Amino acid sequence: MKFLRLLCIGLASVSFSLSAYAEDLRVGLKSEPSSIDPHYHNLGPNNGFSKHIFGALVGSDENQQHFPDLAVSWKPIDDTTWEFKLRQGVKWHDGSSFTADDVLFTVERAQNVPNSPSSFVTYLKGKTFSKVDDHTVHVKTAAPYPLMPNDLTTVKIISAKAGKDASTEDYNSGKATIGTGPYKFVEWVPGDRIVLTRNDSYYGKKAVFDNVIMKPIKSGPARISALLAGDVDFIDSVPPLDVARLKQDDKLQLSSGPSNRVIYLHMDQFREASPHVQAKDGGAIKNPLMDVRVRKAISHAINRDAIVARVMEGVAVKAGQLLPAGFHGVSEKMTPDAYDPDAAKKLMADAGYGDGFKMTVHGPNDRYINDAKIAEALAQMLTRVGIDASVETMPKSVYFKRASGGGPDKSPEFSFMVLGWGAGSGEASSPLKALLHTYDKSKGLGAANRGRHSDAAVDALIKKALATVDADARGKLLAEATEKAVGENYGVIPLHYQVNTWAAKSGYKYLPRTDEYTVVMGLSKD
Amino acid sequence: MSNVTDAKPQATAVPASGLKKFWADFSESRLALFALAVFSTILFIALFAPWISPTNPYDLGSVDIMNSRLPPGSEDFAGNVYWLGTDGAGRDMLSSIFYGLRVSLGVGAFSGIVAMAIGATIGLAAAYFGGRLETIIMRIVDIQLSFPSILMALIILAIFGKGVDKTIIALVLVQWAYYARTARASALVEKNKEYVEAAQCLALSDRRIILSHIMPNCLAPMIVVGTLQTAHAISLEATLSFLGLGLPITEPSLGLLIGNGFEYMYTGDFWISIFPGVALLITIVSINLVGDQLRDIFNPRLQK
Repeated sequence: MKFLRLLCIGLASVSFSLSAYAEDLRVGLKSEPSSIDPHYHNLGPNNGFSKHIFGALVGSDENQQHFPDLAVSWKPIDDTTWEFKLRQGVKWHDGSSFTADDVLFTVERAQNVPNSPSSFVTYLKGKTFSKVDDHTVHVKTAAPYPLMPNDLTTVKIISAKAGKDASTEDYNSGKATIGTGPYKFVEWVPGDRIVLTRNDSYYGKKAVFDNVIMKPIKSGPARISALLAGDVDFIDSVPPLDVARLKQDDKLQLSSGPSNRVIYLHMDQFREASPHVQAKDGGAIKNPLMDVRVRKAISHAINRDAIVARVMEGVAVKAGQLLPAGFHGVSEKMTPDAYDPDAAKKLMADAGYGDGFKMTVHGPNDRYINDAKIAEALAQMLTRVGIDASVETMPKSVYFKRASGGGPDKSPEFSFMVLGWGAGSGEASSPLKALLHTYDKSKGLGAANRGRHSDAAVDALIKKALATVDADARGKLLAEATEKAVGENYGVIPLHYQVNTWAAKSGYKYLPRTDEYTVVMGLSKD
Repeated sequence: MSNVTDAKPQATAVPASGLKKFWADFSESRLALFALAVFSTILFIALFAPWISPTNPYDLGSVDIMNSRLPPGSEDFAGNVYWLGTDGAGRDMLSSIFYGLRVSLGVGAFSGIVAMAIGATIGLAAAYFGGRLETIIMRIVDIQLSFPSILMALIILAIFGKGVDKTIIALVLVQWAYYARTARASALVEKNKEYVEAAQCLALSDRRIILSHIMPNCLAPMIVVGTLQTAHAISLEATLSFLGLGLPITEPSLGLLIGNGFEYMYTGDFWISIFPGVALLITIVSINLVGDQLRDIFNPRLQK
């Protein structure tokens, strides 16, 4: 009886999927956004999703190159002022017109969202916005600030009219979700679906699909079977394991592209006694990770080729710095450290840790591609050079809280962590500023510096680069800072760059994005 | 069986001289005997895993990622043969299953014994003292049993976090109510019997009456429930580990092994999930068969 009923349900769902016509798109997402409010949470899935509904002043394409979005042009008019000319004739989804007032309202609101787990203040702090006329905005900073357009790609512009006094809940319910983007918001049922519909009065390239239904499907195999079964037309985050096999499938179209996300290790460099490092007999020892020779030894103990080949199934690129070649500000000289356990053992002995020590590797298990397996492989490799490593992985919701501030006085709790960083601005300044600059909460520098690496020379180079308007000169300074902080100091140890894969049913083609976002506008019909 | 009729008057308890008879009753079912033999083998493997496993899967120094996902029967460069293949981290599946059995059985049995001790004490006390204490205890038991045990365990692990000790705590908290209910039910029958009254007339302490008079006579049903609950605890632990709660990734139990292998199902690396799954299946079925036979022996209604 039960079987019959299942069969009926199965048949019904098949006939339903047949009746859905071609202009609708069903997407299987690995992570759904934590909110529809574009300023609530500065998080990949949220920022990617909000692109459907909202525009930014400066657009960012699949390679993180800038293009005119709600601003048609921008330029510095003096050392400390940028001028943005806004697009004329843009209509909000409710029919009202887009003006400079909306921009000013957005800037104010984005910095004051209650309970925001990770806010957009980073991109807006120290910038004074003023309205010149309805379609011109000036932004002043205290010092020259070359990254102005980069920062403004991240902040989605909301309607002053619809957003007045609106809370995050009002955006989630759709009451305040009025944007300028190619799709209009219909509804969000958390955990089940997000529904969008085409915005016919969009100023840019018109949307291909009439309706878009996004379904969160967390598990990789489940996402793939949903695609194979035709329950969805398009999925993101194809697990590396399945890439090779799915490529053979004629009914599917895969697209892979390297991302701006480096997977790297942060090591405790600020505590004389680190909580998760002990002598082999369990006794207390001086924190060995403070010694650059130990950090270098760890880098040489890691077999990056093995991680790429066996853990990532070849769908990753081994890393020697913070961003893959081709991005602005990467060093031409740096290459990934070679796997050399003997050199690693020698370095350990030189540093006075010839007998090794005990250490816990902490990592998330649902954030990066194969993150828990990476932690496990690292533990194996460290064990081979004398570091008795154990592994503790946890869901990202717990992990990041503890990694950033789980210790006393909100200090980072872990000693040795697997982490990832996506350069939102598409430039080496992003990881340098966040991961390697000395931690300084008041200035928003070293915000994600969970190992608290600190080197005055690196700080000076980063500061100088951030104030250099000339792109080439800035790029050189950033490369120099990377060479010093990563190449010499081993402030962090890069492992690999993620390669992301999307899969669609044949007939559709997705343009892979370096920012890892899943954006329906990037999906075209052949 | 000629002596069955003789046993009838004492059917509620195991006869004192009954070890032989018990064995005769037990071996009446060939299936149960076979199950007992299988279970004994599993128990042996679990106890002696460190000595009979080809490799130590918990020693990260001997596990190599380069040997990951080798199919059953393959050989690595050092000449080690992996009869059941290796998992995604390069662990020998056969050794992992041996060690996994050790963890699964250990966690299941230990939590079962603790839960039985706690549950039986509470249940006996409820039955013996009656009144408001009984009402309160049994309502708590009712409330707890109305929740699915997996949900209870998930909530407990979400609060306490992962780890072997926490998993055991979760399993104990989930299971004690079953023992409490069984203990109370059989103690209610016993408590009004004459030998208890006699003991009360001798002014023996409550503790002594409960522990040395009533409890031994409630033991039979407790053992039956204990066996079946242990099987339940093992599968519950496997479920929790499969879901990524429970035990740490570097020391996998059977559930975690199955969970680790699950993502390889589509790539055809069946052995990572299937073999631990079969091991779990055999373990639970053999315990259940033994438990069923025990129940049949101890159940007076089924005495021929």
